[in-house]
Order: sequence, then structure tokens, then C-alpha cells
Amino acid sequence: MSSFARYIIRRSLSIVPMVLLIIALNFFIIHLAPGNPAQLISGLEQPSVEVVKALEEQYGLDKPLVLQLGLYYKNIFQGNLGYSFIYGTSVNGLIAERIGATILLTVSAAVIAFALGTLIAVLVGRRKTRILDSIFSVLSYVFYAMPSFWLALVMILLFSSTFKLFPTSGMFNVRASYEGWAKIWDILHHLFLPCLTLALIQIPVFFRVTRSSIDQVNQDEYITTFTAIGLPRKKIYRKYVLKNAILPGITIFGLTLGYSIAGAALVEIVFAWPGMGRLMLDAVFRRDYNLLLGIYFVMAVCICVAILLTDVVYAFVDPRIRYQ
Amino acid sequence: MPLLQMKNVNINYRLKNRQVRAVRDFTLDINEGDIVGVIGESGSGKSTLAHGLMRILPGNGYLEASTITLNGKDILNISDSEFRKLRWVEMSIVFQKAMSALSPVHKIFGQMYDAILAHKPETGKEEAIKKLEKLLAVVNLPRKALDMYPHELSGGMMQRVMISLGLIFNPKLVILDEVTTALDVITQGQLLDEIKRLVKEFGLTVMMITHDIGVVNELCTKIAILYAGELLEYGDVKDVIFKPLNPYTKALVESHPDLNPHGGGLRGIPGTLPDLSNPPEGCIFYDRCTCRLDRCREEKPGLRDFNNRKVKCFKAGEFNG
Amino acid sequence: MIVENQISLSKRENKSLKYARSYFSSVKGTIGFSLLLIFVFMAIFAPLIAPYSPDEMTDDVLKPPSAKHLFGTDHLGRDIYSRVVFGSRISLSVGFVAAGLSAVIGVLIGSFSGFYGGITDDIVSKIVDTFLMIPSFFLILIIVSIFGSNILYIMFVIGLTTWPGNARLMRAQALSIRERTFIMVARSTGESRIRILFGHVIPNGVFPVIANSALQMGGAILTEASLSFLGLGDPNLTSWGKLIFQGRPYMTFAPWMIIIPGIFVVLAVLAFSFIGDGLQFTFNPKNRKGE
Repeated sequence: MSSFARYIIRRSLSIVPMVLLIIALNFFIIHLAPGNPAQLISGLEQPSVEVVKALEEQYGLDKPLVLQLGLYYKNIFQGNLGYSFIYGTSVNGLIAERIGATILLTVSAAVIAFALGTLIAVLVGRRKTRILDSIFSVLSYVFYAMPSFWLALVMILLFSSTFKLFPTSGMFNVRASYEGWAKIWDILHHLFLPCLTLALIQIPVFFRVTRSSIDQVNQDEYITTFTAIGLPRKKIYRKYVLKNAILPGITIFGLTLGYSIAGAALVEIVFAWPGMGRLMLDAVFRRDYNLLLGIYFVMAVCICVAILLTDVVYAFVDPRIRYQ
Repeated sequence: MPLLQMKNVNINYRLKNRQVRAVRDFTLDINEGDIVGVIGESGSGKSTLAHGLMRILPGNGYLEASTITLNGKDILNISDSEFRKLRWVEMSIVFQKAMSALSPVHKIFGQMYDAILAHKPETGKEEAIKKLEKLLAVVNLPRKALDMYPHELSGGMMQRVMISLGLIFNPKLVILDEVTTALDVITQGQLLDEIKRLVKEFGLTVMMITHDIGVVNELCTKIAILYAGELLEYGDVKDVIFKPLNPYTKALVESHPDLNPHGGGLRGIPGTLPDLSNPPEGCIFYDRCTCRLDRCREEKPGLRDFNNRKVKCFKAGEFNG
Repeated sequence: MIVENQISLSKRENKSLKYARSYFSSVKGTIGFSLLLIFVFMAIFAPLIAPYSPDEMTDDVLKPPSAKHLFGTDHLGRDIYSRVVFGSRISLSVGFVAAGLSAVIGVLIGSFSGFYGGITDDIVSKIVDTFLMIPSFFLILIIVSIFGSNILYIMFVIGLTTWPGNARLMRAQALSIRERTFIMVARSTGESRIRILFGHVIPNGVFPVIANSALQMGGAILTEASLSFLGLGDPNLTSWGKLIFQGRPYMTFAPWMIIIPGIFVVLAVLAFSFIGDGLQFTFNPKNRKGE
């Protein structure tokens, strides 16, 4: 088996304990909260006798804690995230409806942020003009300090209200029913502002990381080697500096995906984007804790998967990692 | 006519508020077929000299000289693009840290191929593979090394890759910058043997930079002693080592346990290097010299010829032993 | 021992001066610190600075910025400038308390884990790594919604969910410090491990945590603002996030209601970012002269 395959397997396995931990965490939150678990899980102040009985069956609420934990795990692994008494449907169903929209928004924003942030860093790093460097550096601090929901509101003010370029909310134009290309274009049109907002907040991280990485790589010994050999400077930069310098950015990608999920939820809410973020907020206000914990679990798993994927991509680019 | 001629080479580093004069008034000729050992302590300026010659000094380094010629052609006053044409083709360098001398995320073949393309852009891939396979075979490396990444090879193997890289265009002059320094004694011995063989096979002229006088004794034909940026002695290896004319040379030889004619264990030279941002007016070795005169403090001795050798000392010839 | 302590004391005094000089030689650090000073001043002297009481309702409803109301008024005629000034108290408190708690927990856990090593270290590291990956904002959201949105809970919860970052930094430091010679000397002379931990390991290794804490203060402010914006903030207090929340329904015809408080959040977080950078610069030994 190639070292690459072995590395992938190793990383996948290391994710498992983390997921188990998250599930346990959810469990303990339910049980540490005020009120009894039946109340909490059902979300009802006075759960009826039938409801309580059903919950006791499923979660073993009358049994010792350890057994309950076991049952909780069992439920999750069976793919059963519970039932939302408030929405009147399974948690799985609710999440499945919304997860696509969130993934679309989060992933597109992350990819754009990575691409733009790295690109700007590379362009600025090559010229070595201090002015451009300073400008982008300051800009990166400013955007990183912005609350995502505030930037979203400002975007709406600017582009929707003032310039009327983009829609203020939703993912589709509900009044028209587009098909095919028109539908895709419509979605993209709605996607633009929320995606831009999210991306603007994340670009600074990629910019800064890659920019300092370029400075470091320029000092590496192989750059001297290629200069001594007489390789044209452009080639040295484009082929050798670049590939070595973007490595830290790839590492960061997985990590920022985690942080961007929080930002994504707030942006979703402001733009009324039909994703999991809004679902979560509704669940909070309706005290639908089952749904809430289910969403949390799914998000955490998604992030673990995202990090795993980034690790794989990184190992593909940097052969040294495969040997660890 | 000498292969490489250097006259009055000065190399300075510009720091925030001062200038460090790392190499001062260095004059030397290297003839074809010579294996010149340039020896000195850390901070003597030997690597700086090599980097200056190859025009790979860091941004704050500046080289000035009255003459530098290679093969009779001026290489001092030519533009960077003119100089680029003779890089690697007429003069190449092999660095000390072989493990980090190539990009860790690219395969070795691609990087060596790029080196070929830098000067012979019309070379096809097949042709390059053949040539590189042959080259690697010369340094006893298998063909599959080409498909590997630098970290997959050992330190010794990478060093040989770098040497074969330096020989791609069969340059007349090869500079070896402390290539044996980081190696253990056994690998060092093997590498020196390899170098001797390659010198014969390729008809190379070598400038061997090192701090180890034992290496010079084994490999080189000529030796140049560098101290704090100045050339103090130059001549045939056996002459200089066994009959040093300069007190620093003598102390250097005596500090090497095998070469010390008086026997005994390790011996150092007390004292430290002078401050190179403010070099003294008199002899550079004055502070640490055990047989100095008052004259040495005020006046700088010139580099004078002495029976086929060059020496910088007022007392040259007065303490043979 | 007594002599050694005296020497180390005076060394520490000189060190403080050196650190201060190095810190203020960094542009960002100085700007950040000045900005923070302004905010602290604003928070402490709020009653003196604000021209109106923050809850005072007037008839000037939804008026744009003017000489009378520097930042305009809201839908109940309240002066936004005064509300923002008083809001700084909440935001800064949250920043300091949450980040402080996070630092204390992180340092304790991280230093213990790194110094003692063994299985405990393995388990703790796994926990830390997991926490670092999961989106803490949601955890905070869930906990706040279950347990309540009292401002103290909020500070507490932010601190309880952000300590892993500090723990990891402290652990790395503890790992490298425990290999140092003077630690081995202390152990061989019989000094108890606890005393070594608190007397040597933590004081020498805490610096990256301090720099990180500055950044975490900014993060806490953002988190609190986000919670308030969602309506989950303390219902009795008016933080900057709450102001944006209140301004949202009116934003198309009274944009100052959301723009101004947001700018303040940005400036505060910016200040802490710069301070964090300045601290990182200071703690890098290359930037201290005469060490």
C-alpha cells in the first residue's frame, strides 16, 4: 500500500475519537441542564405521559447514566438524530432539507477566500512594493475585525438598497419559477452577496498566512541554488516559491472552515438564506433542543470531514507528510 | 594564463548603521588543474568570497574588485543577464546543506531538468533523462533517484546529487562550499575519494572551501589561508602546511592533532576575531599573534612573493619548523 | 537561594522596562494600546462623556447625525452616541473577563498536561484538539439558550469554550521548558513538582498565552456582539451588538443605527488585534536589544 493511502487511513481513524467526544459532549449538556431530560429533549414544558414514555424507551431515561450514554450512541449510529416535537418531523429530515444550502454557501466562500487571499499575497509578495503591502495588510486587519452580520447588513445597504444590484434575501426568486440555467443563474444571483460577505471576512487570514510564508520561502536554500544555476527569476518564483509557499494556506483551510461555519450561520440569518444556521436559530427560540443538538452534531462532523479532506489534499501536495 | 583571476576583491555587508567588511583586498590566481583549498575559521569570509564570485550574495552584500576574469574574460563588469549565461556552464557551486538545497515538494528529476533547460532550452525530456542517468551513475546513484523527493535520500546521497548537478555542463571551475563539513568522518572520506575521482575524470579545477585543514591536506594541491577577510598565505599544500611562513598558518596547522609536528592533543588559538565593521590599521592577526612586533600594530604587511608562495607577514621565513 | 531570588527579582524589574520599550517600538502595538486606552477611558468615564442618559427618550426620533446628536437617534429618540459610549462598558468587560478566564484555565490545564506528561497528557491533548476543531460559537449558543443569557453566564461560557487554544500554547511551552537545564537542577535538588510548575514553568512559558489572550479579547467581543444580535444577549444590558439588533428593522432609513455601533466593534477588535501583534513582537527575543 502506498504511503499516501496509509496516511489517509491513519488520519481518518484519528477523526473517530473526536466524533465520539462530540457526541458525549451533547449528551452531557442535555443532562447538566436545568429541568429533566424529557422536558429538554421534547422541548415541551409539560410533556404528556405518552411522550415521556416514548422518550424513556428510546433514550433509557430511567436507567443509569452510563447505559443512557450507550443508548445515545446507539441512536446516533443508527442515524437517528431524534424527533422534533415542535416541528413535528424527524430531525434528520429537517437537517437534510437545509444542509445543501449551507454547504453551498460555506464551501464557495471558503474556496473564493483561499483563492483570492493567496492570489493577492502572491502578487503583493512578488512586487515587494511596501505601499501595496501596507495597504493590504491594514485592510486585512480591518476586515478580520468586522462582525460577519454587520458586514452583511452593510452589504445589503450598499448593494441592495442603494444600488439595487442584488436581492436582499433568500436563495430563489420565489415568485418566478425558473428551470435549468435560469434557475442556476438565479441561485447564483442570490448567492453573490452572502458569499462575498463571508469571503471578505476570511480572505485576511489566507492573505496573512501566505504572505509571511512567501517571505520565509524566499530565504530557503533551494532558492539560492536556483539563482546560482541561473534559472530565470520568474520561473523560480512561479514554480518553486509558489508551491512551497501555499502549503500553510492549505493547512489553514480546514481550520478556518470550522470558524467560518459560525460566520456562515449569522450571514445566513441576515440574508434569510435557507440553510442550517437559520434552522438553528429557530430551534433556539423554540427551545427545540433535540433539533439543536442534532444540527450541532452534523456541523461538527462536517467540519471533521472537511479537515480530513484538507489533510489529504495537503499530503498530495507535500510529499514529506506521508512519511510521518 | 590562470583560469580564474581575482584582484583586490572587497566584499561588504551593509547593516542598519554600519558596514561589515567581510573580505578585504583579496588577490589570487587559480590555474587550470589546481585544487585550491581556501581555508579559514568561521567568519573568515571564505563562504562570502564564494558567494560573491557566484553573485549570490544576500541583498545587503556588495562586491568590488579591480579585476575578476574567468578564462581570460571579464566577469566583474558584465551585466547580470550576461553573467547568467555563464552560470553553471563555466562555473558552478555545490553548497554545504545538501538536504535543503533542492525544493522539498518537487521531484529531483524536474529540478535537474530545469537546470538543463536554463541554459539549453531546446533539450527534450528523453534526452535529459539519458544525460542525467549517466551523470548519476558517475556518482554511484541509481536511476530511480530521479523519481524521488529530496527527503527520501540520505544526506550523503543528496550531496552526491548536488555534485552531479554541479557537473551537468562540465564547467571548468567548480566551487565546493564546505561540502564535507556536516558529514561524519567515514562519509567524509568517501566523499573526498569521489571528488578526487571526478576531478580526474572531468578535468576539473576546484576551489574547495573548508575550515578543516586535514581535508585540504588530503585533497588539495594548493592552499590559501584566509583570516578575518584577508589572505595571509598561499602556496603548494605540502609547502605551506609543513613549512608555514605566517604565524597564523603555523597556529592553524598546530591546532590539528594529526598535522601538529610537535604531537600532543588538541590545541586552539586563544582570542577571537576582530570587529570587521572597524578593522584594525595594522596586521589583522596582531591581537592573537604570539610573535608580533610593535611594527605589526601600526603597519599592514603587504602580500609579497616568497619563493613561489605569497605571504603577508613582516616576519615571514623567520620561524620555519 | 535567598541571593538567587534577589537577583532574579531585579532581573525581572529590568526585564519589564525592556519589554515595555520593545513593545512600544512596534507601530501596531502602540496604536492598539492607544486605542484601547481611549476605550477604557470611555468606559470608565461614560457618565461624564455621554451628553445624554443612554435610556433617555426624546422626541427626536430617527434623526440622522447632527450637532445635537453626534451619532443620531434611534426609534425611541435615544441618543446613539451616549448609548454607544455606555455600551463600551459591556463589550470591554466581556472581553477582559472571558479572555481572562480562558487564559487561567488554559494555562493551568496546558502546563499540567505538558509538564507531567504521560497518559493524562495524551487524553488532554485529544480533548484540546477536538475542542479546537468544533465551532465554539454554536456550543456557546446552545449553552446560553439552555442555561440563560445573563451577562455573567455569557462571559463564563465564552471563557469555558475558548481555553483550548491557550492550553495548547501553554502545553507546547511546558514541554520545551521542562527539558531545560535549570528545571532539571531544581528537580534534582528536591524541589516539588508543583512548586517548579508554578515557580518556573508557568512564569517562563506564559508569554504566548498573553499575546493570544489579547486576540481572544477581540474574539469575545465579536462573540458577545453576535449573541446580542441574535437576541440572545443579556436582556437588561445594551451592548454594541444589541444596538445593531435594535437598529436592524430601521436600517434602510436610519442606517446610522447599525453602522456606528459596528464601527466601534471593528475598532475595538482592531485594537486588540494590534495589541496581540505588538505583544508577539515583544516576546520575540530578536526584537529585544541587549538580551
